[in-house]
Amino acid sequence: MSGGGERRGVAGEVIELDRLITMANQIGDFFAPYPPERAREGLRNHLRTYWDPRMRSALLAHIDAGGEGLDEGVIEGASLLRESAAEKSGYYGPPQA
Amino acid sequence: MPNPRKPEKETITICAYCGVGCGFKAETIGEEIVRMTPWKEGKANHGHSCVKGRFAYDYWRHPDRVRTPMIRKSIDDPWQEVGWDEAFAHAASELKRLQVTYGRSSVGGVSSSRCTNEEIFLTQKFVRAVLGNNNIDNCARICHSPTQFGLSATVGAGAASQHFDSVLQSDVIMVVGANPTEGHPVFGSMMKRRVRQGAKLIVIDPRRTESVDSPHCRADVHLALRPGTNVAILNSIAHVVVRENRHDPEFIKARCEWREFEVWAELVGSDDYSPDTIGPIAGVDPEDIRRAARIYSSGPRSTIYYGLGVTEHSQGSTGVMCLGNLALSCGMYGREGVGVNPLRGQGNVQGGSCLGSWPHVFSGYRFVTDDATRESFEAEWGVGLDSEPGLRLPNMFDAALTGHFKGMYIMGEDPVQSDPNQNHIIAALRNMECVIIHDLFLNETAKYAHVFLPGSSSLEKDGTFTNAERRISRVRKVVEPVAGYQDWEVTVKLMNAMGYDISYAHAGEVLDELARLSPAYSGASFELLDRVGSAQWPVDKNAPEGTEVLHMQQFPRANGRGTFMLTGYVPTDERVSEQYPLLLTTGRILSQYNVGTQTRRTANSMWHSEDVLEMSRGDMQVRGLSDGDRVKLASRFGSTRLKVVESERVNPGVIYTTFHHAESKANAVTSDLSDWATNCPEYKVTAVEVTKLLPADWWQGESVAERPARRELEAAVAAVEEVV
Repeated sequence: MSGGGERRGVAGEVIELDRLITMANQIGDFFAPYPPERAREGLRNHLRTYWDPRMRSALLAHIDAGGEGLDEGVIEGASLLRESAAEKSGYYGPPQA
Repeated sequence: MPNPRKPEKETITICAYCGVGCGFKAETIGEEIVRMTPWKEGKANHGHSCVKGRFAYDYWRHPDRVRTPMIRKSIDDPWQEVGWDEAFAHAASELKRLQVTYGRSSVGGVSSSRCTNEEIFLTQKFVRAVLGNNNIDNCARICHSPTQFGLSATVGAGAASQHFDSVLQSDVIMVVGANPTEGHPVFGSMMKRRVRQGAKLIVIDPRRTESVDSPHCRADVHLALRPGTNVAILNSIAHVVVRENRHDPEFIKARCEWREFEVWAELVGSDDYSPDTIGPIAGVDPEDIRRAARIYSSGPRSTIYYGLGVTEHSQGSTGVMCLGNLALSCGMYGREGVGVNPLRGQGNVQGGSCLGSWPHVFSGYRFVTDDATRESFEAEWGVGLDSEPGLRLPNMFDAALTGHFKGMYIMGEDPVQSDPNQNHIIAALRNMECVIIHDLFLNETAKYAHVFLPGSSSLEKDGTFTNAERRISRVRKVVEPVAGYQDWEVTVKLMNAMGYDISYAHAGEVLDELARLSPAYSGASFELLDRVGSAQWPVDKNAPEGTEVLHMQQFPRANGRGTFMLTGYVPTDERVSEQYPLLLTTGRILSQYNVGTQTRRTANSMWHSEDVLEMSRGDMQVRGLSDGDRVKLASRFGSTRLKVVESERVNPGVIYTTFHHAESKANAVTSDLSDWATNCPEYKVTAVEVTKLLPADWWQGESVAERPARRELEAAVAAVEEVV
């Protein structure tokens, strides 16, 4: 009934890494026309308010491991999630930076 | 055929098909519906209707309706009919077992825009308050989630700014990626009436749709763009507006964030988006882009209506923002006859969006990460709630494939048929241990389910729907539910079986609860709707009978101002190649509805017995095809079979089909690409090739089994198993 051999819900990535990288780079592409500081903040706000925390931590873990396949702007924006300011309220609209 | 029988009773209710939400009078003799007639007092339809609402209602008593709950241990076992209590107990114990074994986040749910506001609200309550996570999504994920995102970003409210009647005051109507005469016929007729009175019509659509050219309707400008180039074209229109100084500085200064306007004007005003640059990319004459921009900006009252041809793209949210940007820049907000308006596919997509059936927001689009909002729900529901966003529908399936998502309550949805990349969905479902389907029929997804809870149609329940113009109307029970319970009662009993003690005397009490927790609905109640007929949100203390036009004085953003988003054009990764040289796009026809689960079970099928593939003469000649040939349609993701017909409605290089029949399996070929912001699938662009099927191949496919769809599905599953 349960397809693969994996039985534990805690180990491993919640979503295949390749798909996360694709999604993150797409978000980076959207914010790319903004000046760098605003682009980074836009990406942070988006990941913080829309992504399941397991997806965020998998992305950060991948960045720690070198971030292969991720655009530079994505690495910089996602890295803001580690700072305490990352907890500021989510918002709609242009990046607030 | 004359109906000689006199109805005993009339019930005023609302059609559940498209997002127009026509008021209907259901006429009954005992427990039999004998006629549906459009209601003259209905504010969305004023006594008009289309052939779906008028005639396609008999599905409700179709023999295929499931009338008894069913369970099974494994999807390889036959279904076992059980009583309701046993079904609830089984479902509850399985969900609990999964949460103990795999964690609190290993289960979730999805609600349907076929269901009432009350049912959608209860489904998200079930997931948040009872399952204790935010893995809740709505089928709007796969159609209009970019609308919520894109319009919230620019004007602060993810909804139509106008009421339908507003179009009768428009001087210019721009239709983007929608075909109202087929998909939203009653609104389409009103639009045509206004065009006949002299309003100018601009259509942006890859296909020469019925809205472009049909009796009583001809577009002044048709931009037959290459699928996937919406953002390029809309930026180019904005380019002309900005470079020719056709924008409205007074409006922007008074009502918008000027700084963001300047940043935006610099982007779209750059040479990258000049018509001469974009025209060749989008396959459109640059002069037509200029004409469209000049007509739209001249107004004086220009309005935009759009559909899934905007949203279902990898830049779907960006496309919606483009529309918001354009309307703001030309001052086309806050009056009659202007605005930006999504045409919603299902009867209650707007309600599904409003009521917090999303993994990241509560009702009113308020973030789950916001403490004050979350605390208001915790106080009402008496439990602590998860402060982190949950998984979206496509991510639930992704997480099922990695073993992190094991159980799901699916209310009124059929992901195997309606979600993209069918093989991927099936593999994900097979990896789950408890799939609960709550539906009218044993749908395609039920093949992979463990619990089946019989649903009730909108003719069998009480509640409310919110249509595409934000109009909240009563759904009234016309006949008794065939399986004994209205859908909202089933969800409540499932919550009870999980140990959450709650009860409602009737659906109106659910509406009262959601009104207490949702500012835009705060004045809504059965009593109000019975009294005034219907009300457009916001319905609150400032507008006790609702609001027809939004944004008259200010925009619902922190500073009250509309704003501009930067909308760079990023081409989709789905591109034609030597192997797949054609672009497939999809649409609807008047007589059928979505995947046809309901309309195909009525006499409406006589009007549209199968989906066909439209192709230009040149593309057919190159492939040696003639009208009526059976063809194989293949993409990188899968293949299906269809009949091809020659059509002048599509340009060379573009082919088109409807998706109303399960046998067509359009989603066997669609890709796994999705919108950058919302993961709304990119249904509208798929690179494909078409080859002629030898008569023997086709004949074999058709004659061996009664239901080719089922056989092919099994073959697809077998193929997936080989991969796994």
